[in-house]
Amino acid sequence: MSVKRRIRVYLLPLLLALAVSGCGDHAETPVIKERQPAAVAVNSIVPVRTGGNSAQGELLLIPETALFRNGEMTGVLVVGKDQRISQRWIRTGRSLNGDVVVLGGVDKGELVVGEYNPGLLEGVTVIKSPNVTEEVQSK
Amino acid sequence: MNEGIAGKLAKQFINSKITPLLMVASLLVGIMATFMTPREEEPQIVVPMVDLYIPYPGAAPAEVEARVAKPIERTLTEIPGVDYVYSTSMPDFALVTVRYKVGEDAERSMVKLWSTLMKNMDKMPPGVQFPLMKKVSIDDVPVLNLTFWSKTKSPYELRQSAVQVADELKKISNIGDVEIKGGLKRQIKIELNKAKLQQFNVSPMQIARQIQQGNTQMTSGDFKQMNQELVVRSGKFIESAEEVSNIVVGIYGSAPVYLRDVATIVDGPEEVNNYNFFGWAAAAPKGSLSGEYPAVTLTVAKRKGGDASVLADKVMSRVDGLRKTTIPSSITVSETRNYGATASEKVFTLLEHLLMAVVAVTIVVGFFLGWRGALVVLASVPITFALTLLIYYLLDYSLNRVTLFALIFVTGIVVDDSIIIAENIHRHFAMKRQPKLQAAITAINEVGNPTILATFTVIAAVLPMVFVSGLMGPYMSPMPIGASLAMIFSLLVALIATPWLSFRLLKIEEGHHEEYDITKTGYYRLFNNILSPFIESSFKRWLAFGVVGLMLVGAIALVPLKAVQMKMLPFDNKNEFQVIIDMPDGTSLEQTARVAKEVASYLKTVPEVASYQYYVGTNAPINFNGLVRHYYLRQKANMADIQVNLVHKGERKAQSHDIAKRVRADVQKIALRYNGNAKIVEIPPGPPVLSTLVAEIYGPSQEQQIALAKQVKRVFEETPGVVDVDFLVEEDQKVYNLVVNKERAAFRGVSAEQIAQTLRMSLAGMDVGVMHTDKQLDPVTIQVRLPQSGRTSLQDLSGIFVQSQGMGTLTTRLRAGQMIPLSELVKVEENIQGKSIYRKDLRRVVYVTADVAGATESPVYAMLDMDKKIEKLNLPGGYSISPLYTGAAPSDDKLSMKWDGEWQITFEVFRDLGTAFAVVLVIIYLLIIGWFQSFKTPLIMMIAIPLSLVGIIPGHWLHGAFFTATSMIGMIALAGIMVRNSVLLIDFIQIRRAEGADLKQAVIESAAVRTRPIILTSGAVVIGSVVMLFDPIFQGLAISLIWGGVLSTILTLVVVPLVYYMAEKKSTVTVKNKK
Repeated sequence: MSVKRRIRVYLLPLLLALAVSGCGDHAETPVIKERQPAAVAVNSIVPVRTGGNSAQGELLLIPETALFRNGEMTGVLVVGKDQRISQRWIRTGRSLNGDVVVLGGVDKGELVVGEYNPGLLEGVTVIKSPNVTEEVQSK
Repeated sequence: MNEGIAGKLAKQFINSKITPLLMVASLLVGIMATFMTPREEEPQIVVPMVDLYIPYPGAAPAEVEARVAKPIERTLTEIPGVDYVYSTSMPDFALVTVRYKVGEDAERSMVKLWSTLMKNMDKMPPGVQFPLMKKVSIDDVPVLNLTFWSKTKSPYELRQSAVQVADELKKISNIGDVEIKGGLKRQIKIELNKAKLQQFNVSPMQIARQIQQGNTQMTSGDFKQMNQELVVRSGKFIESAEEVSNIVVGIYGSAPVYLRDVATIVDGPEEVNNYNFFGWAAAAPKGSLSGEYPAVTLTVAKRKGGDASVLADKVMSRVDGLRKTTIPSSITVSETRNYGATASEKVFTLLEHLLMAVVAVTIVVGFFLGWRGALVVLASVPITFALTLLIYYLLDYSLNRVTLFALIFVTGIVVDDSIIIAENIHRHFAMKRQPKLQAAITAINEVGNPTILATFTVIAAVLPMVFVSGLMGPYMSPMPIGASLAMIFSLLVALIATPWLSFRLLKIEEGHHEEYDITKTGYYRLFNNILSPFIESSFKRWLAFGVVGLMLVGAIALVPLKAVQMKMLPFDNKNEFQVIIDMPDGTSLEQTARVAKEVASYLKTVPEVASYQYYVGTNAPINFNGLVRHYYLRQKANMADIQVNLVHKGERKAQSHDIAKRVRADVQKIALRYNGNAKIVEIPPGPPVLSTLVAEIYGPSQEQQIALAKQVKRVFEETPGVVDVDFLVEEDQKVYNLVVNKERAAFRGVSAEQIAQTLRMSLAGMDVGVMHTDKQLDPVTIQVRLPQSGRTSLQDLSGIFVQSQGMGTLTTRLRAGQMIPLSELVKVEENIQGKSIYRKDLRRVVYVTADVAGATESPVYAMLDMDKKIEKLNLPGGYSISPLYTGAAPSDDKLSMKWDGEWQITFEVFRDLGTAFAVVLVIIYLLIIGWFQSFKTPLIMMIAIPLSLVGIIPGHWLHGAFFTATSMIGMIALAGIMVRNSVLLIDFIQIRRAEGADLKQAVIESAAVRTRPIILTSGAVVIGSVVMLFDPIFQGLAISLIWGGVLSTILTLVVVPLVYYMAEKKSTVTVKNKK
């Protein structure tokens, strides 16, 4: 069996050379294509706010609804300058009236999707839907 | 007729039945050896390196340095065989690294180190804990990485699966360390509730003590009764989270306080301490998922002397088996490193190159000697290599790129002996002066002895390379040994097998019957036309010498003109590289992860990248480079490693080094946006160093050193071609120092240690034991800590209480057990964390590091460039420094700087190779004196050596290549080959003159007769080297052999006979006069 594998390994460069010489003229198609899907409307896009009092110092706050979890990891969906969302892992502290204190991972003023939706995948373009209806929310 | 050794040997074997048997036998053992020799990519390098971790809790770097690092270093340098001692004094602990000389025995070194350390442990200050000693060796580098990733599983679940697989894999024979990177372990978390603690009057220390005491079980003894022994056991280990929560931690009023009353007990993943993600990139196989997924990496190392490819095959087939049982279908296992496969591939590619070289050489020989002659030569090569491979196996060498390189390197040379013998037999057959057997033996006699001499000159040329010292030694030494062995075998084959084959294969052509006359051959007419004018006119002769001299000077001038640049070794075309991200100290794990992700998202779009995996808070699996650079310590929150896997080199046009160069700027731009520093780290082709460019800065004080380092760093940054600039000085990090108010603590009956312990438990957490369960393979720790939300600011510390110890402390009359708020006892001071202190060989040093890429690829030129700028720097005290090259300044009274890094190795290698070359020249000279019994003749022969430079240097310029260490090896080997050509040439002149020919006639005849074997042998070297031309590392060697070979062969054929003529003319005249 191992001899077979050796032969295979030995033949590999040869086969590769053949393969490459055979298909030299057309370029490899990348997996991640530049898709331009229609932007997905989300209920709310909120900036990371600051709060807290003088004793605590400045605190970063985001709504608790924005959070999602994967095991022990906590994340939010950050909306980039190009309106695309990306998952961001954060560390959270205590809750404050429906908000949660972020200890690390986001900057003040960054935009996050206010209500987490598992259907929103990395790289999707989002816009804030102008009028939020009940149906959209329940979806 | 007198016969030399060669003739005698040939006579014995030319008609013996034993000869073919010997040939077949050696072929068979060679083939067997090839498959039995372990295969690996890198040569085995024994560099005993030991890391000593010496904890000194609470001490600042300066104190660690003065009390621990310094005294330990001093004693360690006394150990014989120690090459360097480095130390880093950090807050709370010292890391001392001892590096032994290359080749020192690892176990003996450990014993010596241990005994020295033990002898001096009594000198350590109180508070220093027992040192942890870790030997670091090349076998710690994982040969196989398996990434477990999943769309749906969490890092905790991934790790659970990986642990099970690791446990199964451990059963495979010859497997080394199996480790798991990333993921989250199972832990029983006891999250303290501050309010409840206060309410029930329970302190964290008390909880820790209760759990520790509750988690014991022991055999108490036995009863003897009725001739029987009954074992008595007491206590019980904690086996579940439930049991933990039921531990009674105190009494409140008259009711017991259970742990569950004052804390939340969570059995599950530990708190996030690393992020490890995997993703496919632009060049991923079709149909791969986009996006990135939580991942855990299982790394497999091999045992010393094991075969990486065999192990990798075994592990992979085991994993395939486990896919059905242990690994859930939702988890994908991807192979992200397989050094076994790459080693096999490298070995087989090299073997293939070897084959190509042999075939090419055979074809060339075929042109001159006909297909029968070619067959004779072709048959001799495999036998030679088979025997060499057998010796490799017997000497415990592995098949790696260096040992195989040695074989390719000598391909062109080992055929030479056979060519010379076969060619001369061919010539004698064609002359038809003697019967066939007689002709063959005469032919062997004629060239046998000079061939033996010539072989030994070539061996003399390569063998001194064994003495290359330092880290480069193991990379170099298999080469001269392998090449010398192959040369000796090729000589034996040429004297035993070649005559046998020639005698049977070469035919005496029937066509022409006229008497052989040299003057009628084309070669004779050619050389008569070329050489006669120079022989007859001394003016023309001198003109010719002048032209050759000018060419030589011109060629050498290309070096100072920078048309040809020197570099130790060029980068190999690898399938991976790493990105190392360092965020400012104190950056949170999430922020680092965010930067790593952003960099990774960029790398994902690079067309040649197949997949990537980033590791934050834990180090990526190391390679040999990372081992030397201590990358396995990169486990802090501000550090991230990105492992970038490229598509196979056969499927892309760009070399890995070019890709690395291309992405560098963009990667650094992203990191810089977050004040981070990103470096692109490629696998170095030779021995790894801290960094390609290292400036070591010595000086009287750390402040001055850092000030100078900052200036030097700026110079680095401003110099084009210098990239990845960094220095090993941490950014200022804020520290809250909680100073205990001693009077108050004494009045309250609280000790400073109690405060420190309580704080540590609350913030960092404290492992108070392990859960005893037989189902879990990873130990499950029980940790007491405040929940994440309860330890974010100084304010949170206010709710922490310590318990008064009451009268026991003798300082208070308070009742024991009273809860004292911590805020009452400590005062907060804001400080800057002390900076790590680096020391090398007992002196404080600050390192500035960088790499070179782009504008200049060779550190030497960048260094020379920066020297001028560094000399102009303004230093306190108004003096200037000039960087040192070979050794550090003798004292630290003044600031000084020394270059290190790749330079140090380059310097050592070229110094050793230079010395080797000088020794080679002397040995060759002595050998030829011994043969020709003349002091003058060897000098004439050695004229050919510098002539090779006429080809070598412009050759590098034409190819736009660097003059590397392999080029230098080529040059040295060429010296041997060229001298051999001269030996053959002059030997024939002397034979002809002894037969009574005129000097001029003898010179021209010799040139004519020897041209064919010389062109053939040099042609073999040149053609054999062409296959190496496309290998990034061996390119220099190929260029040296090809261009040096061609040019110096042509020049040798003209210049050497002329010089010999000039030298001998005078002596001939005097002899005649005497007569």
